[in-house]
Amino acid sequence: MKPALEFLIKDEKVYSGALSCRGCGWSLLVRHLASILGENTVYVAPASCFSIISGPYPLRELQANLVHTVFAAAPATATGVRAALDRQGKKDTTVVILAGDGGTFDIGLQALSGAAARNENLLYIVNNNGAYMNTGIQTSTATPYGAVTTTNPGKGFKRAWPKDLMGIVAAHNMPYAATASLAFLEDLRRKVEKAKNTQGFRLLMIDGPCPPGHKTDPAESIHIGRMAVETRLFPLFEMERQHYTINYRPEKYIPVEECMKYQGRFKHLFAPENKYMIDEVQAHTDQYWVRLEALEEM
Amino acid sequence: MKKENSQNGITLEAPFQDPPRYPRHVQVVMKGNYAAAEAARLCRAGFIPAYPITPQTTIVERLSEMVAEGKLDATYINMDSEHSVFAAAMGAAIGGERVFTATAGNGLFYAHEVLQAIAHFRLPMVMCNVGRPSIPWNIWSDQSDSLSQRDTGWIQLYGESSQEVLDTIIQAYVLTEKLQIPVMVVLDAFYQSHTSENVWLPDQNLVDRFLPPIQPGPMSIDLKQPKSFGGLMPPEHYNRLNYSYWKTVNQTEALSGKIAADFGAHFGRMYDNVEAVNIGSHTRLVLVTLSSITSTARGVIRDYPEIGLLKLRLFKPFPKEAVKKALAPLSKDAAIAIVERNFLGDNEGAIMQEMKRALYGSHYKMYDFFAGLGGKDVPPETIEKIIHRAFHQPEAVNWIDVG
Repeated sequence: MKPALEFLIKDEKVYSGALSCRGCGWSLLVRHLASILGENTVYVAPASCFSIISGPYPLRELQANLVHTVFAAAPATATGVRAALDRQGKKDTTVVILAGDGGTFDIGLQALSGAAARNENLLYIVNNNGAYMNTGIQTSTATPYGAVTTTNPGKGFKRAWPKDLMGIVAAHNMPYAATASLAFLEDLRRKVEKAKNTQGFRLLMIDGPCPPGHKTDPAESIHIGRMAVETRLFPLFEMERQHYTINYRPEKYIPVEECMKYQGRFKHLFAPENKYMIDEVQAHTDQYWVRLEALEEM
Repeated sequence: MKKENSQNGITLEAPFQDPPRYPRHVQVVMKGNYAAAEAARLCRAGFIPAYPITPQTTIVERLSEMVAEGKLDATYINMDSEHSVFAAAMGAAIGGERVFTATAGNGLFYAHEVLQAIAHFRLPMVMCNVGRPSIPWNIWSDQSDSLSQRDTGWIQLYGESSQEVLDTIIQAYVLTEKLQIPVMVVLDAFYQSHTSENVWLPDQNLVDRFLPPIQPGPMSIDLKQPKSFGGLMPPEHYNRLNYSYWKTVNQTEALSGKIAADFGAHFGRMYDNVEAVNIGSHTRLVLVTLSSITSTARGVIRDYPEIGLLKLRLFKPFPKEAVKKALAPLSKDAAIAIVERNFLGDNEGAIMQEMKRALYGSHYKMYDFFAGLGGKDVPPETIEKIIHRAFHQPEAVNWIDVG
């Protein structure tokens, strides 16, 4: 992917003063989303860091309507909003869900599956930062294997693999789904455009930097995001119905520890007795890539 | 005390009357659930999220038929749970649509979180709940589900007959859209939901004149004036929000009474927030009832000139003024017997708790009677047992026919 300048935001659609932590992905993500989606958009947000970042009453970060809703059912609330707009002839208004991984992988999975299976005309954005960060870094089913959280603390670090959300999503045979990274903005912006202009249920999963949760240097957020893609820990791909396309193929094979080493949540894995777990992550990552390539061939 | 013929100068209602006839209506024999569905159609509900649960299912089935056949211009969506049903209802109400849905028992319990959100978002909508309990599995008539949700912020109205359910849903839309507070209309499982009765169906234009199209409210999405709905509310604002809700909900009793009177003038049938039958200075005992048990009690007290009946139609917020007014003629030694088809894990049932709050400081002797839980039939004999117990050796709280 050659360097390009198409990622610059020309038409800012958020107000200044987002309440995010330093190095958080949410505010940068939302700036890009909003600049593409425009003001003719209704956002629906379940509980997540973004509930706070978007501004407590009476503040509003987004230059569009934002409906906050219950944790488990953002796609259901968005279904109702969509139906109302459609009945009023406002079919060109985009309805967008902005959710975290807890609201997507865990408590909101059923409502997500319902909306995807109905092929509701909704755009679902999941900012996957791999834990319940808003409540203070608790394990979700998106939390990576081996990570430390406050509910998998110390030697009790997580020993289960995260859910393959994109696999679950693919099983719904939906029009469009993709992964995206804030370190690959041109790719991200193209996918948002494509999702905006696709009818039916669309989902974008964004790799979400979280310095307090990942125990990282806020200045390194984008670099770590880039390394997640380069090490294939977070591959960039998209699916139309069940046709897969890998959007970025790293030129070199870079071991996963080159991304994990920046993250304090994996620090204990570098102790000699736990090193085998990094090998397991590597094997899992390699296998996932093989599978992706096979899916792309199909 | 049971009378065989008219005596003491009290004229009793004739046992068989010519049924009333209503112009610009058609009379149809239908089940209570279908009466609820017809009401939603007549009210031109625009958004209906649905999920099946016994004994409500035939309401949403009938609505899906109406939409499929083009008899109702609504967006009907099969959701993945009752939690999602109410979350979708919330979204469409914020979108400015007239929303209807129905649920029962576990569905209502499951939706608890969203019920709170809808009420505190101040969204208008009407939901029909067909009362049943939870686990151990029981699908039969019981009001523990709706009464356990009394503090979610929804207004609650209970219907005695299928006709009253239909008429109450129409009134509920006027009420909810005036107050911007959601309304739950409750009917009894099977005794009402699956029992056929004569129902007068009003003509569409008669309903249209009573219930104008929904107007966007302060909680509606306006694409030209974007807002943030329901974001983090700091304490100083949150308090003000509740104060505003409190001021509005306090108008419910008066407004519901006025809508009932308007409805009476418009349709020819009148239901008040409460109904007092045979309550006077001669009355020694008043039975207090909700929903279909009322009809049974009505029949029984015909034989007891000294027994009255207080039917509650509006339950939440509790119609304190109407209850006090209805009971005002009672003499000092009159007693009140409350029939509870609910159990909320407390010594007293829900109706007794509310009656005591309403009548705080008054002289009435009040006895609570648990009867008919989980669908157990409450035939006239059970009402007579309650009457007998109330006159002889009543306890503060009584269980009838525990077996």
